Amino acid sequence: MFDTVLIANRGEIALRILRACRGLGLRTVVAYSQADREADYVAQADEALCIGPAAPGQSYLNQSAILYAAEVSGAQAIHPGYGFLSENAGFAERIEEAGLVFVGPSAACIRTLGDKVAAKRAMRRAGVPCVPGPDEGLPEDPAAIRALAREVGYPVIVKAAGGGGGRGMRVVHDESGLLDALALTREEARRAFGNPEVYIEKFLVHPRHVEIQVLADKHGHAVWLGSRDCSLQRRHQKVIEEAPAPGIDEALIAEVGERCAAACRQLGYAGVGTFEFLYEKGAFYFIEMNTRLQVEHPVTEMTSGIDIVQQQLRMARGEVLGFTQAEVRCHGHAIECRINAEDPDTFAPSPGRITGWQMPGGFGVRVDSHANAGYRVPPYYDSMIAKLIVQGTTRADALDRMRLALSEMRVEGIATNVPLHRRILCDAGFDAGGVDIHHLERWLAAGSTA
Amino acid sequence: MNQEQIKTFIDALAASDLSELVFNEDGWTLRLAKHAAPAAIAPDAAAPAPALRAASSAECLAPLYGVVHLQGTPGDPPFVEAGQAVAAGQTLCVIEAMKVFNEVRAERDGVLQSVLVASGDEVEAGQPLFRFA
Repeated sequence: MFDTVLIANRGEIALRILRACRGLGLRTVVAYSQADREADYVAQADEALCIGPAAPGQSYLNQSAILYAAEVSGAQAIHPGYGFLSENAGFAERIEEAGLVFVGPSAACIRTLGDKVAAKRAMRRAGVPCVPGPDEGLPEDPAAIRALAREVGYPVIVKAAGGGGGRGMRVVHDESGLLDALALTREEARRAFGNPEVYIEKFLVHPRHVEIQVLADKHGHAVWLGSRDCSLQRRHQKVIEEAPAPGIDEALIAEVGERCAAACRQLGYAGVGTFEFLYEKGAFYFIEMNTRLQVEHPVTEMTSGIDIVQQQLRMARGEVLGFTQAEVRCHGHAIECRINAEDPDTFAPSPGRITGWQMPGGFGVRVDSHANAGYRVPPYYDSMIAKLIVQGTTRADALDRMRLALSEMRVEGIATNVPLHRRILCDAGFDAGGVDIHHLERWLAAGSTA
Repeated sequence: MNQEQIKTFIDALAASDLSELVFNEDGWTLRLAKHAAPAAIAPDAAAPAPALRAASSAECLAPLYGVVHLQGTPGDPPFVEAGQAVAAGQTLCVIEAMKVFNEVRAERDGVLQSVLVASGDEVEAGQPLFRFA
């Protein structure tokens, strides 16, 4: 069992993991790039090792450097956070082979669930509802492909098996466009993911993005911790998330949640994970599974009262899950706004020195951030600098609290999307709850004042 | 809504401590917003003052803080080289900030005298990148 964890990530999630380790009495080693050497969280770790230059390819994606850092620091476990190497089966395998613990599921599980066709097949077997369409790659014969698409029903979406996060997909509205779309997506997939396999599914026109958080130990126990709605997206990037997903029958969510937990047991999945679904007209359709900790995990922590990162570390240490499904109780409502260093209107990135930093606080308000006044947001990584999370007894209560928190929040020296969040929180559609995944882009295109 | 009215609104917003002003009339919507000055316009005190630099038309300045790339992909020839004649609108370099690539183009025709930065350098907003003859 390990007592030292190497944190192979940066920014707010590195600090979040560091805090979880401290809470469990574990020693922490932060692996950082030259661009992050002056960040406060680096100094807070028990030990910090520079693993390379600023460019991610030479530091946070450099597997050998990270493994070497673990070796010299005596860390027996590596936490990958999210992004970077967190869903890289090859990296998990190298860690396992080095006799260390990868804080996440096995390399085999990451590999299966990273292939969208294989994942869909596994989900169907476990009884998780999926988008209509075959759970195998497409045949070569054009007539057979046309027959399959007709059976699914137009519009259909052509997707790359190796894709994800909104990349490698194309919508087809009628038969005349099918074969061209297929050829294009295949070629893109071959170039982008090194895997030309594509498959087709029914295209849902106005879905919501609803996901289920799961937690599983290495002894065959798995629970689900409630739902999240992440429909507010721009260019497939989540902007605001909330828990639970509003306006959906609790019994239906419980049924889907149970299926997700059962799928974990069937797959031998251990650690934390998220089943992502499209939700339309009262039905859930599995799209993909994220085999890692997610950015938006705090909204589930706030409603369930469970420290998800501590639990993830406990599961990696081989502990038996300390509670049953019946003991998981979600209360109230939580909302998270992702605060990015970007222009609130043009979305142009805005790295640079933060000269003023006033964070909201008080009852039911949580800020997860590594930044502060004087911190320089580096231009090398993504633009998220903070997560503002609030909880309330009801959704309306949480919305009120978020409005208040946003009005208190002040970041100077760089542009942030705080003004955009303030405007979204005044949108009648969002306020009512249950908008679809295209709502935010529609609203932005309409001038965001209507 | 006429120009005079819009100017009145701009002055009203500028004089107030409001960050945003929205006005609806006859199906028109005017939205004015004040921003924290973006880094490209107001770098911190330690950085060179862009207003002064901009006065010298012989230099091309970085529009934002980021990482400069003098070629499209590593191994490619550079976009431009010292001694070369460049045309207005020609790409001189790319500045990468948070996974977004921003092209920097020549504002007018001229001959490039020197390249003042190296590929991979971190550049400040307002920092000179190229000098023209």
